[in-house]
Amino acid sequence: MPNTQPALIELHTVSFTYPEASSPAIKNISLKIFKGEYIAIVGNNGSGKSTLVRLFNGLRLPNEGAVLVDGLDPSLRANLYKVRQRVALVFQSPVDQIVSSCVEEDVAFGPANLGLPLPEIERRVSNALAIVGLENERARPTRALSGGQQQKLAIAGALAMEPSCIVFDEATSMLDPASKSNVLDLMDKLTAAGMTIVHVTHDMEDAARAGRIIALDHGGVAFDGVPEVFFADAADGMSRALQLGLGNPQAAEAARLFGLEIQVNETPEGLATRLRETGFFVASCDNGYSGSEAVVSETESAGEIADRAAETSDQAALADTDIVHVGASAVPSNGGKQWAFEYRNVAFSYLRGTANEVNALSDLNLKLPAGVRIAFVGTTGSGKSTALQLLDALLIPGTGEVASQGRLTTDPKADLRAIRTSAPLAIQRPESALFEVHAADDVAFGPRNQGLSGKALVERVSRWMDTVGLPYSNYRDRLSRELSGGEKRKLALAGVLAMESSAILLDEPTSNLDPASQKSIFEIVKALSSEERTIVFATHSMEEAAQAHFVAVFSAGRLVDFGPPAEIFYDRYSPSWGIGLPYTVRLTRALIKAGVSIQDKPLSLEDLRDALQKYIAQTHHVHASQDVVCEGGEA
Amino acid sequence: MKSLEFFRNISIGQYIGTDSWFHGLKPAAKYVIVLGLTVLAIAAPSPVGAALSIMVAFLVALGSRIKLSFLLRSVKPVLPVILLTAVLQFLFAWPGDNSSVLLRAGIFSVTVYEVWLVVMILLKATAMIIIVGWFTSVTTESDIARGIEDILRPFDSKYFPVHRLALAVSTSIRFIPIVAGELEEIVKAQASRGADFGAGKKNVFALARGYLPLFVPVMVRSLERAEILAEAMEARCYTGVGQTQPPKTPRRRGDVAFLVSFVALIVLVLIGDKLEFSTWIRPF
Repeated sequence: MPNTQPALIELHTVSFTYPEASSPAIKNISLKIFKGEYIAIVGNNGSGKSTLVRLFNGLRLPNEGAVLVDGLDPSLRANLYKVRQRVALVFQSPVDQIVSSCVEEDVAFGPANLGLPLPEIERRVSNALAIVGLENERARPTRALSGGQQQKLAIAGALAMEPSCIVFDEATSMLDPASKSNVLDLMDKLTAAGMTIVHVTHDMEDAARAGRIIALDHGGVAFDGVPEVFFADAADGMSRALQLGLGNPQAAEAARLFGLEIQVNETPEGLATRLRETGFFVASCDNGYSGSEAVVSETESAGEIADRAAETSDQAALADTDIVHVGASAVPSNGGKQWAFEYRNVAFSYLRGTANEVNALSDLNLKLPAGVRIAFVGTTGSGKSTALQLLDALLIPGTGEVASQGRLTTDPKADLRAIRTSAPLAIQRPESALFEVHAADDVAFGPRNQGLSGKALVERVSRWMDTVGLPYSNYRDRLSRELSGGEKRKLALAGVLAMESSAILLDEPTSNLDPASQKSIFEIVKALSSEERTIVFATHSMEEAAQAHFVAVFSAGRLVDFGPPAEIFYDRYSPSWGIGLPYTVRLTRALIKAGVSIQDKPLSLEDLRDALQKYIAQTHHVHASQDVVCEGGEA
Repeated sequence: MKSLEFFRNISIGQYIGTDSWFHGLKPAAKYVIVLGLTVLAIAAPSPVGAALSIMVAFLVALGSRIKLSFLLRSVKPVLPVILLTAVLQFLFAWPGDNSSVLLRAGIFSVTVYEVWLVVMILLKATAMIIIVGWFTSVTTESDIARGIEDILRPFDSKYFPVHRLALAVSTSIRFIPIVAGELEEIVKAQASRGADFGAGKKNVFALARGYLPLFVPVMVRSLERAEILAEAMEARCYTGVGQTQPPKTPRRRGDVAFLVSFVALIVLVLIGDKLEFSTWIRPF
């Protein structure tokens, strides 16, 4: 039924082109946003999401068409600040949007700009800080807040404007899982209080929480409707989200995989209950197992399924690597192979010896085996990035020592350049460190420093550009700055890979990318894994961590656990780590709780499906035996 | 072996919150101290005046409970620039320099006057770094802006928007650690790919060559961040005019007496230096 109330934000055939851009960022968009709506805006990098929301509050003014906010046209100077007061914007990077050095002063910035009297500013500041839960941090310096708290401060700054609508422009993308969950809960709370929320996001789990999804593609609206329709399979067997390359939420993917109807925002417990109710796991004396045909091939025996599961398991490749878990220290036995890296009693503080000294890591003892993928996980500020940089000798421990592929970084005679180039680090957002004009020149920087030139250099650069999916012949003369976000990240990755080192360190390699680019980059990372190459990466994505051979968990500057992901997430996980669980683990736990006896520890939905098939086959076997007993009894 | 940690050597822009008497001074009063010490350092005609400015700055820092070693850290990164300036002093002959020659190598010579100039440059540069470092250690970014507004308020007009100037200054200071952080990130990215940073090579030209490729990405990243901040301010209705003024910092007993004494001391030292000190030690 069409909404008859007046729209809060209206766009009429709006187009916007950036100066000097060859094509418009926004093309002929018309839409209405009503008061109290919770809307997710999704789309790939460069699809126009950020530009669109800047049109909502007059930070961008359309070249064609008209925008109206509460009936006010922001292109009129007299209306501009009224519009900005009505539509507040929270940006992606918490630290970059903080204006003041003191929490309360930062919240007061907007109201002071409105020229409000001091008592009214005081009231608004108190109110906004109470809503986001920062009332006790009121007098603290803004830089002393954690990343999550800084984002809450930004939200408080927006709330203090007393707007009708808050736009979150990828405002959760730089937060760790715990902080992100807090901010998402805050969005729900604000929606419940009648605030209009617009959330620009790459994360389909977050998008599914909204009541309406607007998907952009190449500057136009490709979808505008409810999440249930966006994530439901269309005639071609793909959802609209999948067609646009955005992916489905994990719950929707799981429902699809098990042949169930997609229910957006379904909890793992809900899906587990539905799986039981639909009879997938209920064996019957009369006809074997009902409903399981959807997932079990009739020609496969339980034994064959078990064999296949063992073959495909990543852990099988590590059959000779056992972990001895010793409190905060971890010493895996690696079957006589050389250790790639070793931390021995390591402690590190930033700004050491100054009044602002910050302890980043303490008592770190850890050995990392060679030829495997290792994930460092933990909340923001837990020490994982510091731990990575210590491996690369970019940071030298204050106490203790680090052995990087057999060489001590603390040794005064150590060749730091050799240590660094044998385990190069791709920093966070490595694409912003691109400095050569042409793409191939940037990739050539490292190999050139290694002494390569001429044909050998071209061959090396060409090989790695091809590997990351930027064919040398097409991309070598492309301007680095004009590549898309995903392409830039790939180019930066190629620059590190072209060092052809025995180890690679990656600091959040897929952060801030759209789902398609995230998937593509992580596939490259996985494909690079080999017996000869160790990959250590820091990540906030537990789905990615689950695909590592080992996971190191950091919390408050300490290593709190280390081991294979199955053990970390199934046996030793603690909510106090603030890292969350992979969806598959949550679903498996829900199934076990619902009475399904799953013996394996699946880390992907495919593995879970295999585990369920094994369970069904075993159950069938038991019931078949009971049938024989029954029949024998009757006879 | 040292970490690639640039910010550790930068005291400017790092506020250190202690409850010292100096911390509680009105922002404008802190500006008066900075101005006085700066005038002393720059206007001093002899190294004595410059050395005195360092001494007074040290005393003020001690009174503010700021470690001297922390303030001196910032001298190290600019030492190459100071040394380069010193070399230039020695390379060129100064007109009217009749002081005795200490060293001669071909057409180049080092005179007493040139040594005098180099010592002056070193002391003055050190004094300036310590003074600014102390100021930002005891003054929050908001107070930096507030101080400028308080001092320049009488001149505020349509053509001289004091509030905007104050915000520009405090934002610039806030960007010092941000730019240092960006530089550090990019240096790390390039060091990882074989660039010579902190890996032992001491050749000045190699070092300079190594830093050249950093210019573009550091500028780009800093401008990107500046743009985000500008957008965030615009989104919160910043126009530069019509803001509500924050409540004024209350004046304490003794602040004015201290300031008057301080300014008098600076003036006395300057006069003394002009009249006497330099002749006592001037060797030419």
